[in-house]
Amino acid sequence: MRTSTPSFSNLIKHPLATIITLFVISLALLFLPPDVSSRVKMTCAAPMRPFQWATCFCSNKASAFLDNLISALHEAHGKRHLEEQVLQFKNKLVEQQDTIYKLQNKLRTLSKFQAENTTTKKSPVPADIIGYDTSNFRKSITINAGSKHGVKPNDIVISDNALVGRITTVSGRNSVVQLITDPATHIPGRVVQTREQVIVEGNATAFCKLKYAPRWAKLKKGDDIVTSDIGGLYPPSLPIATVVEHETKSGALFQSVKVLPRVNISKIESVLVITH
Amino acid sequence: MRWFTFFCMLFCISLFQSTLMYWINLGTAAPDLYFPFVVFYAFLTDVKRNTVANWLTGMSKDLFSEGSFGMSSVLFVAIGFFLWSSREILFRGHLVTQILITFIFSVIYNIIYTIHVEISFHSLCFSSTLWMIFCSSFYTAMVVPVLFWIFNRFQPTHKLFFIKGN
Repeated sequence: MRTSTPSFSNLIKHPLATIITLFVISLALLFLPPDVSSRVKMTCAAPMRPFQWATCFCSNKASAFLDNLISALHEAHGKRHLEEQVLQFKNKLVEQQDTIYKLQNKLRTLSKFQAENTTTKKSPVPADIIGYDTSNFRKSITINAGSKHGVKPNDIVISDNALVGRITTVSGRNSVVQLITDPATHIPGRVVQTREQVIVEGNATAFCKLKYAPRWAKLKKGDDIVTSDIGGLYPPSLPIATVVEHETKSGALFQSVKVLPRVNISKIESVLVITH
Repeated sequence: MRWFTFFCMLFCISLFQSTLMYWINLGTAAPDLYFPFVVFYAFLTDVKRNTVANWLTGMSKDLFSEGSFGMSSVLFVAIGFFLWSSREILFRGHLVTQILITFIFSVIYNIIYTIHVEISFHSLCFSSTLWMIFCSSFYTAMVVPVLFWIFNRFQPTHKLFFIKGN
C-alpha cells in the first residue's frame, strides 16, 4: 500500500477557512503589544541578518569602487584648484594656531571640572548599517550591534556627531534604529540661535518638521536645531537638523517649519550607538 | 505552483528591498517589489494558494519594516482576494493591464497604509505624502515588466493565464 505524505497544498483545502484563519492571525498580530511584536520580528528576521550584512557589505564596496573611479577621472581637473586651496589653508592655519592655544587652556580647565563631576558614564559602540526599512512610509535601519555589545532599547544612535535616531528593538547581535525621519519620532529640541523650544517630528520624507515653533520666533534659514535635555531620553546639545524653510500662516498658532537632518541617512554606512 | 520557487523569490525580494533600495530610489520614494509579487500571484494561482502566498508576502514585508506587525499581510490578502475575484473580467495576460492594475492597487494600498500611519502618529504632511504615494506607486508600476519577466522565468505562467479554472 502506498501512502503519500501530506503536501502543503492539502493543508489549505478550504479557501474561506484559509482566508479567515490568515486574517485572524494577522489581526491578532496587529494587536500584539509593541514589545512582544518587536521580539517576534527580531526572532523571525534573525536568519536573514547575515545575508543582509553580506549584501550591504558588497553594495558598499561596489559603491566605494565606483566613487573612486569617478573621483580618479575628476582628479586631474581638480588638482590645480586644490593647490590654490592648500595655499589659502596654510595661511589660515597660522591664524588658527593662535586661537587653538587660547582654547586649549580653557579646555584643560573644563576637562578637569568634568573629571571631577562625572556621574553618568556613556560609551559608544560602533556599528554598520545592514538593512533598511521595506516600507516607504516608515524609516528605520538595522545595525549589526545588539545586546551582546551592550546595546539597549532607547539608546541613542549618532553619526558625524549628529543625531540619527534611537534604538527601538534589540536582539543578540542586531538592533533596529528608528530614524529621526520616521513619522513616530518626536524629539524635544531647541533652536540654537533663538533658544526656542520645539519638537522635531519625522514625516517619512528626507525632511523633518518642527512642531510648536511659536509664531513670534524669529527663525531663519540655516538656524540649527539641537536636542534639549527635556525628557531625559536624548543627551542635550546634540545637533539634529537645520532650518530650510519656514512659513507663518495667518491665524495659525505656530509656524510651519521644514528642517533638514544633519545626517544624510542614505549616505552613511556606519553609526555610533551611545549606550547608557 | 512551486512553493520552493516562491520562497526563493520572496527571500530575494526581501533581501533586495531591505538592502539595495538606496541604489535605485527617487528622492525618498523607492519601488515596492513586494506589490508586483502580490499582483502576479493573484493573477496566476487559485484562491487558496493566492491567499497563502499574499499573506506570507505581507508578513515578510512587515518583518523588515518598523511598525505594526500584520498590517501589510491583512492588506495584501484583501487586495489579492479582490484581484483574484475580478481577474476574469481583466485581460490579465497583457502587460498594460498588469502595469495599470499594479499602479491602481499600489495607490490604494499606500493610501490605506498612510492613513494608518497618520492615525497612529499624526505627523505626515498631506501634500508631500500624496506626492510620495504617487511617485512610489508609479515607480512600482514601472518595474512591473522587469519583475514579471523574472517571475515568469521561475514560475512559468503561459499555460496558467489561458487555462480556465485556475
